[in-house]
Amino acid sequence: MTSNEEALMWVEKYRPQTLTEVVGLKDIVESLQAFMRTPKTMPHLMFAGVPGTGKTTLALAIAHTLYGANWKSFTLELNASDERGIDTVRDRIKDFSRYSRTGFGETIPFALIILDECDQMTGPAQTALRRIMEIGSRTSRFILICNQSSKIIEPIQSRCAIFRFSRVEKQAMKQHLIYIAEKEGHTLIPEAADRIVDFAEGDLRHAINVLQTASAYKEGIIDEKTVSLVIGEASPSQVQKMIRKALYGDFMDARKIMYDIMGNFGFSGTEIIRQAQREIFKMSDLTAEQKAELSNITGEYDYRLTQGANSDIQLSALLAQFAKFGKGIEESYADPK
Amino acid sequence: MQTQNNMLWVEKYRPKKIDDLTGNDEAKALFLEWLKNKRHTKKAVLLYGSPGVGKTTLVLAASQELEFSVIEMNASDTRSEKTINAVAKPATSYKALDNYTKNKTSGNVLFLDEVDGIAGNEDRGGVNAILKVIEESLVPIILAANDPDIEKLRPLKKVCLLVRFQQVRIPLIIALLQKICMLEHVSAEFEALERIAQNSKGDVRSAINDLQSLSEENHRLTLQDTMMLTSRNKDITLDDMLKRYFSAQNIAETSTMLAFSNIDYDDFLLSVSDNLPKRYSNPSELAKAYDYVSRADLFRGRVGTENWHLLKYFYNALTLASAINPLSYTPFTFISPPIRIITLFWTKGKRSTLDAICGKIGAQCHVSHKTAKHDFIPYIRVLLQKNSKSPLVGWFKFTPEEVDFLLKMGRF
Repeated sequence: MTSNEEALMWVEKYRPQTLTEVVGLKDIVESLQAFMRTPKTMPHLMFAGVPGTGKTTLALAIAHTLYGANWKSFTLELNASDERGIDTVRDRIKDFSRYSRTGFGETIPFALIILDECDQMTGPAQTALRRIMEIGSRTSRFILICNQSSKIIEPIQSRCAIFRFSRVEKQAMKQHLIYIAEKEGHTLIPEAADRIVDFAEGDLRHAINVLQTASAYKEGIIDEKTVSLVIGEASPSQVQKMIRKALYGDFMDARKIMYDIMGNFGFSGTEIIRQAQREIFKMSDLTAEQKAELSNITGEYDYRLTQGANSDIQLSALLAQFAKFGKGIEESYADPK
Repeated sequence: MQTQNNMLWVEKYRPKKIDDLTGNDEAKALFLEWLKNKRHTKKAVLLYGSPGVGKTTLVLAASQELEFSVIEMNASDTRSEKTINAVAKPATSYKALDNYTKNKTSGNVLFLDEVDGIAGNEDRGGVNAILKVIEESLVPIILAANDPDIEKLRPLKKVCLLVRFQQVRIPLIIALLQKICMLEHVSAEFEALERIAQNSKGDVRSAINDLQSLSEENHRLTLQDTMMLTSRNKDITLDDMLKRYFSAQNIAETSTMLAFSNIDYDDFLLSVSDNLPKRYSNPSELAKAYDYVSRADLFRGRVGTENWHLLKYFYNALTLASAINPLSYTPFTFISPPIRIITLFWTKGKRSTLDAICGKIGAQCHVSHKTAKHDFIPYIRVLLQKNSKSPLVGWFKFTPEEVDFLLKMGRF
């Protein structure tokens, strides 16, 4: 396997450079290889699927295959989540797509534009993109990457060959982790690998990050205990703490944690509320009904967050609802009917 | 007569003689004593005190009575070093000839009003220029300020005689208002005048202005007319507003208050949110109140910059939050300034560091800032804690500050 030896994050170091090395995804790779044989016939592509399943990796592998070591000169890589406005589309993408790169002559008469997380693009930006894809198709090909294809407007979808990525299969992931650990001079105990695979929920990037972090704890052997330690250390706990404080009636403390998360960790109101949604279902001391009810309340404020002016006010209001709900639980225990 | 009617009463009834000036007898005496006899002790005098207590009036009245001409510069003029020199220098560098023929005080007097308003940038060098003028002046110089304690005025205080003006006492203001009512043929209830006077907090100018605006039209003034006064007063602080808001006994009370206030409603909304848990300790009441505040915020969001007609729903929702349970109100100290401003102000630097880190991760690992924050930083943080000299630092091109930030970040 070729690997990016200089890279120090393992996700980069072991990111496959060619299509054949990609873990799983056999069907997709085969179709793509057909395009690679006669690149002129390659349409615009859209890769859709959950995070960490190889979308970006495949896109970069295509760039490598087409242009070799010089791929960066012929590829525009943009992350729409960072640059999601219409200006980016109008300026950078349009400019890049307009001029054909003649370096590869007749066989590959186009440049490649990889647009990552493009479901984060605003509506107007997508509309602008649609025209550019049409006009620029002589001189450039797009690879659009997104989590949910439904968030991409129809006209764009219809211009693309869509490939759907499913979660990385458990066994394949486990083998891959063991392979990487071995390459790095560590022994990954199978139980520890299982633990990582369970935690990663089909997200290979996440899994490799856990593996690399665990390897820093102890030389040689990576066991289940170390993995649990890493998972505990790296998974979000503040949001759950905030919810608990609120449920136990300590509204002021809960709100303090909320401001802390916003200020110190740079999380937006939406990120916090979505995380809260996940955390609720992880709380073992709540009944299924209580979880459902709390989730329902959270949903209302998730919506209000998108309409309101101040996310901290909406979150505070949500915490107040939690506090009220917690009080209700407490009373039902004190006074069982 | 027409012009007389159009005049502001504050101007119309501005005292022409020193004796007619209401209140502050000690300050008056001190100032006059300096002006007449003690100018050799200090070359300048600084009159200070809250607005509307008679500082400017005293100077103008004294100038008429003692027959000197006043050269005035106030906040409406630019007061940089250049302009001060241009105006003040000529005015202070010669004595009038009739100084010797008439009494001692006549001649020019330089009056710099509102010196605490000398702005930092626009009026660069202003304070130093004034100091220089005072030093070289041949004529008396009078300065006036509201707040003498601000840092930039400190050098001025050293070279000036300080004359403090107190707030004018309420009975004196009432008497003055009664006099004006008589002259303007306004029949006013005593309680109404009392309320205006109390509300003015010793500011004669605002009291007269209030009287004029409430009674000029129909020459009658009842207590009822003065009800909306407090909320219309510009000097009402956020704290006063919060106090009235949280102690409101019913929706109508809050409603009137909000309708007549001119406070920044974004600030107010944030402050209400901050203080709500202190007002309602009962979780059900708090949840209900917060629900209304949340709705108010929704309408605020929908108002945006164009749908101003929605603002009434914003006020309505906010009003409802104030009166969930009037009975449970007990006074409390407010959280101010807004928590958000404190927290997010202090962390603005941190957040830009975080952004920079995410950008560097994104560049190396082909991910967005968001993914970098969620899926990489938690691990990189631990990796660096295990080995802060890790080659990763160089690979990501992290600066020492960024490494430090990651190490201290704590667990999310």
